[in-house]
Order: sequence, then C-alpha cells, then structure tokens
Amino acid sequence: MGQLIALDRIVSVEPGRGATALRNVPQTLAIFDSHFPLRPVLPGVLVLGSMGELAAVLLREQTGRTWRLAGAERVRYRHFIQPGDQMRIEVDLKRLDDAEATLGATVTVDGRTVTSARTLRMVPQ
Amino acid sequence: MRFHLIDRIDAYEPHRSVRARKLTSISEEHWQGAPQDPVMPPPLVLESLCQAATWLIVASTERRKRAALLQIGSVSFTGDVRPGDVLQLQGEVKSMSDEMAVLSGVACVIDGGAERPVLSATDIMCALIDASDLQDLDETARLQAQFIRETP
Repeated sequence: MGQLIALDRIVSVEPGRGATALRNVPQTLAIFDSHFPLRPVLPGVLVLGSMGELAAVLLREQTGRTWRLAGAERVRYRHFIQPGDQMRIEVDLKRLDDAEATLGATVTVDGRTVTSARTLRMVPQ
Repeated sequence: MRFHLIDRIDAYEPHRSVRARKLTSISEEHWQGAPQDPVMPPPLVLESLCQAATWLIVASTERRKRAALLQIGSVSFTGDVRPGDVLQLQGEVKSMSDEMAVLSGVACVIDGGAERPVLSATDIMCALIDASDLQDLDETARLQAQFIRETP
C-alpha cells in the first residue's frame, strides 16, 4: 500500500505545529482501471490514508516514535480528486500525549479544498 | 491492483442492510508494515465496508445508482487484519433518499472461532450517482452477479 497512500514530497515539518506535503495523482495509477472504468476518481479512503501518513511523519519527527492512524472524525469529501491533480496535504497538531495525538487535516488542489478532516486520531505503534 | 475490495455478498435486504466478505491473501499487493508482520492498511478495510455499501445501493436501485463518499462521521480502526484473514463486513442503512444514503457498519475477522472487531464506522454519508456514469451497466451487472454468485 505504500504506493497507494504514499506522499511524493514533504514540503515542511514544524514539530509542535504541523506539516505540509504534496502527492501527485498521475493517470498511470492502476486503480483507475477499476475505479472507475468510465470516470477515474482517487478513492476517498486513500486521501484519508495520505493524511494519516503525513500525521505520522510529523509525530515521528517530534517524538522519535512510530505512529499509526487509529481513527478519524468528520472527514468531508467536497470534490473528486482526478488524474492530473496535485494534492497539497496539510496537517495541524491539536493535542499530543504519550498515548494519543489528534490533528486536523485539509487537502487542496489548485487552492481549492477538496477534502478535510476535523480530527485524525493517531496512536503510537 | 483491481480496486474491488469485496469478494462476496452473503446477504442483503434492499434499502436496509448488507453482509459481505473480503478474503485477504499474502498474494495481494497492498500489505504494509514490517515484512515479517504485514497488515492490511486500515483505510482499505474502510473501503471494503464502503464497497459493501455501494453494492447494496446497486442492488436496491436496480443498478441505477452507485455511492460516492461525501462524509465519514466517525471511524475507528480497532484491530489488525493479516494475510489469510477473512473480513466480515456488516453495513446498515440509517437513511436513504434518491440522492443520498447514510450508513453505519462494522468489520471483524474470525479468530479461533470468535469474532474480533477490526473497524467500526458511523454516519458514512454517500451521494448516489448514476451508475452508468462510472461503468458500463453490463459490466456492473456482471460484477454484481459474481458477488452474489448468480449467473447474469
């Protein structure tokens, strides 16, 4: 799955605050053969997965530990993400303790918000 | 990979509920984590539940509609899924109109005869979009027949 939710470029990581990354969505992705044959759309769950990846990058930088996505709340999909889109993913740290971290996240394409998550819940591995 | 994350629909009640399963295998490409302990990426477990829901919508609308994600109210990933596990998916419709459906659901795997929950989600809101915009309708019918083990 690395290849299904992976980030292409980390733009910035500010421990204690947030992080920004880019993910490109090329026409070559094999999932577009089946999702969907007449209309290629990046599956929304993979957008959630990419947000979780960036949250894990930020938390690893900050704590030196490995974190994983344990849940999410109020994830809103406003527009389809299609081949040719460059996703700009941003996460903001809200709360962090030894057992759990929460973050907010947004994804924009050309400045337009396509997906947002009020809360990503991360736990140490 | 083919982005088909259910393998069989075991039971459904149109407009109400669906029970489906996904078989996992080490021969799939999507495993993540340490090579000696691969796990299924949690977002894909959620996708399995969403696909069970979309095929319930297909079955409830004579294949006119499919579901596109608008919102996930809440999701919790509560356990790992490992190669060889069979995911049992259960989705319930909370409300449904011509344009929208809201579902909740759970996923579990059977471990030593007992059910072990791996995911729960509430308020999954989907837009119902024309199935013919996404895929040739004959192909949709063929897939649906495969999932419910009927010949078209």
